[in-house]
Amino acid sequence: MKTPRLSPQTLRVLERFVERPTAWRYGYELSRETGLKSGTLYPILMRLAKFSLLETKWVTTEDGVPPRHTYRLTPNGVELVRSTFAAERSALKARRPAFSGGRA
Amino acid sequence: MIPAAAPRSVAILLLRLAIWIAPNDTLDWGRGMLSELNHVEGNWSALIWSIGGAGVLAKHAILAAILPGSQRRSVSSASELFDKELPMRKTTLAVIASCVVASLLFFLAPVFRQAFAISLVQWHQVFHVPSNSFFYRPTPYSEALTRKVEQNRDAEGLVYVALRHPNPDESVRLAEEAVQLDPNLTWVYGVIAVQYSSFPQFDRWVSELEKYDPQNALPHFIVAEKIDFDEAPHKTIPDAFIKGIGSGREDHESPAWQSAMAAAFQSQKLDTYLDRLKGLDRRVLLRYHIDDPFQALTDEYSWWYGLPTHSAWDSSCYAKSILESGAALEARGDRAGAIEKYLAVARFGQMMGPAGAFWLPRVQQQAFLHLASLSEKDANNERAALYTLLADQADQTQKTELSQLRGEMRGGGVSGWNAAVMKASGLLLVFSTVLLLICALAVIVRGGSFRLSSLHPHYLTLALGMGGAMGSVLGSVMLYVSYWPYAEILQRFINTGDESRIPDLAAFLSDATIPLGAQDFRSVRQVALDFWFAVTVLCAVTVLIAVFRHFQTRPRASAA
Repeated sequence: MKTPRLSPQTLRVLERFVERPTAWRYGYELSRETGLKSGTLYPILMRLAKFSLLETKWVTTEDGVPPRHTYRLTPNGVELVRSTFAAERSALKARRPAFSGGRA
Repeated sequence: MIPAAAPRSVAILLLRLAIWIAPNDTLDWGRGMLSELNHVEGNWSALIWSIGGAGVLAKHAILAAILPGSQRRSVSSASELFDKELPMRKTTLAVIASCVVASLLFFLAPVFRQAFAISLVQWHQVFHVPSNSFFYRPTPYSEALTRKVEQNRDAEGLVYVALRHPNPDESVRLAEEAVQLDPNLTWVYGVIAVQYSSFPQFDRWVSELEKYDPQNALPHFIVAEKIDFDEAPHKTIPDAFIKGIGSGREDHESPAWQSAMAAAFQSQKLDTYLDRLKGLDRRVLLRYHIDDPFQALTDEYSWWYGLPTHSAWDSSCYAKSILESGAALEARGDRAGAIEKYLAVARFGQMMGPAGAFWLPRVQQQAFLHLASLSEKDANNERAALYTLLADQADQTQKTELSQLRGEMRGGGVSGWNAAVMKASGLLLVFSTVLLLICALAVIVRGGSFRLSSLHPHYLTLALGMGGAMGSVLGSVMLYVSYWPYAEILQRFINTGDESRIPDLAAFLSDATIPLGAQDFRSVRQVALDFWFAVTVLCAVTVLIAVFRHFQTRPRASAA
């Protein structure tokens, strides 16, 4: 089966979500934490939402301030992301001896 | 000084504009970006945030316009999860394939192939493809035709290729061989003597031409033109040439020139052989099934009225001198001598006909006015009225010729536009095809297979491919439509001899040889420089993007 190609930017976003899977996150907050610009962050979020891995909600934080769009992973999303990370880690471990110059 | 809040205001405006054009399924995202703007610290940071968000929405708007129907989907496997690529949609593939097939089908039509070839001629200037004649492209086909007519000992075919051959020696050899085979084609010396007046055979050509057609003024005009060229380095441009017809040019010319013009003036007729040439061309085009306009047309169609370059001007100058000598005789009281001179000018103008361009009718008009004046003095009102009418006709002819000339100088409006559309279409077709090929190559390389099921193009690749495919069809249609009328003109000329619109075709082809963006041949060098500069910049930008993408997407240890 073809290995999914995960861009470092996507991984960075997912890491933030996985840290607190149940928390709703703001776009600007994610941008600051990951260091990604809006032009990079939003396509990632939109793609995740498109595959029903991310849910969105409008929340009102305080009176007079427009509601904010918030995001968090769906249960399916959390599960699939964790399994993907596990696969990534095992793949990385398998490659590490070669990178260090030794032969397995 | 920019107000501090201005960048934020621009940011809000920009995002609102992007939301306005965004497709429905991205509206929430756009509004989300807009609401986040309230929390972005710093006005310039807000603007950067807005530019990024607006770019995302704009991209979706473009994709939605090109590839409508993107829908929310669910995934069942990790492999589908974060992949940027989508399985190649059958509908999109079918549309692209249809466009490609449609474009290829156009190439089945000979007219389209011809149009495409002509649309590429503009690049000859940019890429310095050698071209020795204005309307001539040395091609393997033309070389083969030369061999064929020589093998067939086809005299008319030899004349046809001789007048198009880029090598002067070869051109002369072929023409002389044609005349040897068929002495009735001696008139072809009238054409090559003008083109190659520096050749040692010049005198023989003129002599044979005079024997062949003793009443014709053409050989004398050819001799006068050669004298003009030979003496040109030793004389200054006469004022009359610059200011228009004023004083006669004859004062500056040698006795040899005077003698040649006098002989032309006394000739019984003027035959430029252009009609014979066109008839010969038609027969050869039909005989050898030639339908390429660049092969079919030649420089003689761009001659002024089929005459050597200076003949119309020379004629008017000489006629003016005769007119002045008539006026001098009239002043001395020699009315009969004056009338003889005036009538000679009038007769010469009639003999020249349209070949006199707009200069000679002006002199002719003056001759008629002198004759009308003398008739009035003789109380011959009927004759005076006739001469006045003829003077008016000459004036009208002159105005018509001048108007036509001005129209030609300005360039054919419709022909120019059609040539521009054809050149742009050819460019669009080439660009679209290259884009399509690059997209196809990229998809195949990334997929690692030629099987459709394993091809997973990126959205952007799919959109570019679709754009390329649609561009190729659009370019094909525009190319065909813009050239088709001119193909019809050529076919009508070949099949029926109708040459009424040949000047339009010549103007169209002339415009087609000038690269798109250049006003005329003088600015071709600048266009070539601009082109290569643009290519260099594009290559540099591509390399920079590739390097940037490489560093942006390379795996990092911290990511895992």
